[in-house]
Amino acid sequence: MIGPTSLHVRSINHKTAPTEVREKAHLEPDRASALMDALGGHVADENHNPTVSENGCISVIPLSTCNRTEIYLEVVEGTDVDALLKKGLAEVGADPDLFFSEHASSWTDLDAVRHLYHVSAGLESMMLGEPQISAQLKDAYRLARSHHEPGPGLMRAFQGAFRAGKRVRTETKISTGAVSVAFAAVELARKFFDKLSDQRAVLVGAGETGGLAARHFLQHNIGHLVVVNRSLGNAEVLAATLREEMKSGPSKKAAKNSGGLLPPAADADGKSGQISVMAWEHLTDAIAEADVILSTTGATEPVILPDMVRAAVAKRKGKPLFMLDIAVPRDIHPDVSHINSVFTFGLDDLDGIIQGNLAARARQVPHAQGIIEEELVEFQTWLDEIDIRPTVAEFKAYLEELKDKQVGFVRKKQSDEVAQAVDHSLQQFIKKVLGRSVSTLKSSQTREERERDLETLKKIFSADDPD
Amino acid sequence: MATVMSIFKFLMPLAYLVVWGTYLWLFYTDSPTARRLCTRFALIVVGLHTACIVGRGIILGRLPMGAPAEFFCALSLAMLATYMVIEIRIKAKNTGFLVTGVSFLFVLIGSLFSSTTDEVSPFLRDPGFAGHAVLVLFAYTALSLSFLYALLYLILNRQLMRHQFGLLFRRLPSLETLERMSIGAVKLGVPLLFAALCLGHLWMYDLADRVDADMAAMLTPWDPKIMISWVILLGYSLGLLGNRFLGWRGKRMNTLAVGAFVAVVLTMGLVYHFFPSFHNFRSHQPISALSGFPQSAAEMLAVNEEAGR
Repeated sequence: MIGPTSLHVRSINHKTAPTEVREKAHLEPDRASALMDALGGHVADENHNPTVSENGCISVIPLSTCNRTEIYLEVVEGTDVDALLKKGLAEVGADPDLFFSEHASSWTDLDAVRHLYHVSAGLESMMLGEPQISAQLKDAYRLARSHHEPGPGLMRAFQGAFRAGKRVRTETKISTGAVSVAFAAVELARKFFDKLSDQRAVLVGAGETGGLAARHFLQHNIGHLVVVNRSLGNAEVLAATLREEMKSGPSKKAAKNSGGLLPPAADADGKSGQISVMAWEHLTDAIAEADVILSTTGATEPVILPDMVRAAVAKRKGKPLFMLDIAVPRDIHPDVSHINSVFTFGLDDLDGIIQGNLAARARQVPHAQGIIEEELVEFQTWLDEIDIRPTVAEFKAYLEELKDKQVGFVRKKQSDEVAQAVDHSLQQFIKKVLGRSVSTLKSSQTREERERDLETLKKIFSADDPD
Repeated sequence: MATVMSIFKFLMPLAYLVVWGTYLWLFYTDSPTARRLCTRFALIVVGLHTACIVGRGIILGRLPMGAPAEFFCALSLAMLATYMVIEIRIKAKNTGFLVTGVSFLFVLIGSLFSSTTDEVSPFLRDPGFAGHAVLVLFAYTALSLSFLYALLYLILNRQLMRHQFGLLFRRLPSLETLERMSIGAVKLGVPLLFAALCLGHLWMYDLADRVDADMAAMLTPWDPKIMISWVILLGYSLGLLGNRFLGWRGKRMNTLAVGAFVAVVLTMGLVYHFFPSFHNFRSHQPISALSGFPQSAAEMLAVNEEAGR
């Protein structure tokens, strides 16, 4: 039994610290492991219960992502957490002062748990409701468990956080709608086409931006991608790279954990994800055959002109053509947007969609907070009972033993029916006595009062032997 | 039985309201619970209403589409049932609130203004006519849904053109899905209309043998309503062929679908008001008075037996 403990968190995150500070505070897995070793609490007893290190630390779980580095601690009550943490950070070569500067925040006990639940639900994320944090939190917990058995408080808090995060994501719309440019482009394309796997996209330009946009469409199973570039060689290089990536794409599990941002590799049946190249001279033909145009060249003048598009549209029999211009300066001539059945969009439109989705997510925050408060009530209930549970269990065992002796005595003198009736009656009696005892213990106003009550109870049932 | 029917008369608008509410809930919140429940509720209501109408038909001994209120009730069922076929085929639920809303309105009118009068055309007691009328009802309902989806296509198309990303943008299915729903409705409506017209012709020739000369003279395939129905069937069939073989699609195809339905409504309205037709089933029309047509199911059976001998 560890005894009274307290929970603490120290956080450096995107709300309190600029990128350079977050970079300095970052704890890569090796250093996180070293911190766990340095702070102790890494040995479990024969019952797999965590032990207390000499410095008072029971367990520590570091979480480090691009946007936050947080250290969750469970310590014996009264431990000097700041000194403990500074010493541990210094030992692993991190800058301890950083975690105690104006860029850091800290919470204790229920507030620390509340913060953890908020983080798990994506409420503290830069992109509200983003799903990766859930997987990152699980990785941090897994890493910690590989080092030591987390203390009861942290274990319960993390399990509650995973549950709260899952509930928030399933019961609210906090994670829906695109909040990145590339994803917004895919979302917009989906307003035109039922299945992207039946569509043909043309990527105009083989630069970095183009590659990024193409990856998103390929990851969302675009049927066929044609790369058109002034330099055919560059187009072929990009196509080859994309083909390679498609073959060795993330597993379905990894895609699921990424919350849809890393969809799995193309279907094995080859229905989607075909990639080819076309020479620049055939751009008009490529447009005529395409459903989606992604234009991302570095040209200083528009490269997709109204006449080219008109010629292409004439062959399309009214089928809509979705054109996305994410180049600066723009690649698609403004007059193209006046052509019938042609829909042109730019970065401003994608930003409009993202802002709309973020506003919709923000409207879900009160609902998410409500769910978190419900989960916190459960945590608080567990916390209230944690110190009385062993004593109550002992008390129950004592009463059960007494009951069995009495029933045995009755069975010798009376029939089985009478003995069963007595057994049933005494079981009801035990239930009532235990219920009353638990509620009395839980109603204690202070920890001291509760400890006194527990001692009294222990004295009562250990004062005499049931015999 | 009659008591049960009376209860259903009040319960049915409530059931339609629940379905509409669930689809509205889905449209505004995209709730997974609403998504799971809406189709189930709608299918239950289709089943209940069908049972209710069949039961009423059995009690009355005729097709329960004689009085205007009865027609509205049947129309609401036809709309919901046809929509369910399209929804289940295309797997798009976010437009359900529109159709179920109209269905609710129709069933409410039907319930509020229902009367106990049984003075309806004797045609409604004939099973051949009942089949024809039901098919016509479902066929035109399917065409009206095609109009609705084509209209939604044009609205979303306009919003996308103007770069407006509001609620309709977020909730409506893709342009391609709306087009598939519109064309899917036509694909449902065209064979139903064809079957309805064929059955109508067969029934008309059969009837001509059983009624007196005055009545028989009125039963002509050149009736304006019949002719215009064939024209409508031809028009929609050509549209389907154009879509299938000539690749007609997009804004042009959907504008055509909207225009076609508006033309159907206008033409039918004109024909109904300005041309004489035997397609009129109100009890006070001279057709029932003039003809020797049986006035009840029992009479009908007797006539049929006579014809058989």
